[in-house]
Amino acid sequence: MMQDAMIDEWYPVGLFSQLDVKGRKTALMGEPIEVALDAERRARVTCGDGRTLPVCVRYGHVWSSLGKPQKDLFAIPEADQPGRRLVDVGAIRVRCSPLRAVENFLDIAHFPFVHTDILGAEPHTEVQDYKVEIRQKEDEVWATQVKFYQPKAAKSASGGITTEYMYRVPAPTCSVLYKTCPPRPGEWDVITLFVQPLAEDLCDVWPWMALFDDVTPMTDLIHFQQTIFLQDRSILENQIPRLLPLDPGMEIPTRADLTSVAYRRWLKRHNYTYGAQLVAQ
Amino acid sequence: MRLSHGFVRGEALSCIYHGWSYARSGNCLRIPAHPGLTPPETIRVGTHAVEESDGVIWVAVGVPTAQPPRLEGVVPLRSLTAHTGVAAVEAAAGAKAGAVGLVWQAQDAQQIRLLLAPQGDEQTLIHVLLDHNSSLSQRIGASRAVERLRRAAEDLQTKGIAP
Ligand SMILES: [Fe+2]
Repeated sequence: MMQDAMIDEWYPVGLFSQLDVKGRKTALMGEPIEVALDAERRARVTCGDGRTLPVCVRYGHVWSSLGKPQKDLFAIPEADQPGRRLVDVGAIRVRCSPLRAVENFLDIAHFPFVHTDILGAEPHTEVQDYKVEIRQKEDEVWATQVKFYQPKAAKSASGGITTEYMYRVPAPTCSVLYKTCPPRPGEWDVITLFVQPLAEDLCDVWPWMALFDDVTPMTDLIHFQQTIFLQDRSILENQIPRLLPLDPGMEIPTRADLTSVAYRRWLKRHNYTYGAQLVAQ
Repeated sequence: MRLSHGFVRGEALSCIYHGWSYARSGNCLRIPAHPGLTPPETIRVGTHAVEESDGVIWVAVGVPTAQPPRLEGVVPLRSLTAHTGVAAVEAAAGAKAGAVGLVWQAQDAQQIRLLLAPQGDEQTLIHVLLDHNSSLSQRIGASRAVERLRRAAEDLQTKGIAP
């Protein structure tokens, strides 16, 4: 079997702010690892077999890899923009494929049914046409001009608005969402989904945000995101089959699912198959 | 996502994930993301014959040749899911299921009737029925006894003792 190309990618393995010298035991793609601060207060990741793994610290998280990453972690220029509040949400453990967690994040059609009265509400269920492309130069999946009516788009929103979204998939288990920013028209709030693959059917989801919101208390911002992801968890843990099918099979995609179709195609093209099912069952 | 997680509104059954709704005959009535679209005939789910009898809803796999068995003198108490196959539940109960379910004599509880429905991927839905004259404390006792049975069955599965 061909080695999965996902082995050489960067993955989040913890919040840097929560590290200490005692370390944190976790796992990456089935391997036990330990994430700790060394004597110089730098993050250090060790594999169960004793190897020291590659490390970088970015967007509040420690990132590592079991293989040899060929390039730097993807850029989020907004992370360095002055005036944004950076929110470490923390991990949510989900018994699902890491790829399914990302695909669900890219889907807006479920908002009225799963995030009722927060991110969506009947009868505003229509998904208008949007644009999807695989950007060749950056090698990323992008969905733009995504619009959806939301009763409570953010913690800072006081009423229903039509929100505009852009989605970006810069790595197989990471997605960056750009979303209309109510207090600052012309700017985008950034909400990311960083997924740590623990096993093919188990992951820790690490949401992270870079927002223009000087008002809402930090605990409320975190609680709002946790509420959303716990609603998603009840869906993700019941999906069948557990692994993400990359070949067309039983499912019937509609126009609303074009981001998911592009994501699956991009995964397959790169042989990113950890958490995927190749032959339709 | 199973439609059993969904919701019934009017005469339609809807999926909890994206709200696609289905008619009694299995054809898709509505895709909320595309309200202007009439779903093509090819979008449909399988349907099964259903019968309600003695407080239990029975679903037929294939074409049923007879009515569901009668369950006289007992009433439904609750249903619970065991993360194990039917064989492990039978092994833990020390009895096999017949046409009218499994008759289980639990320790410190009255006789309990169990209907075991295999759910695929190593799960069993256990429907619990009790004598219709049971008192509140007997019903609570039976409920706890079945939870112990579930744990015992799941332990057997983990230890690899049950098939
Ligand atoms: Fe969601």
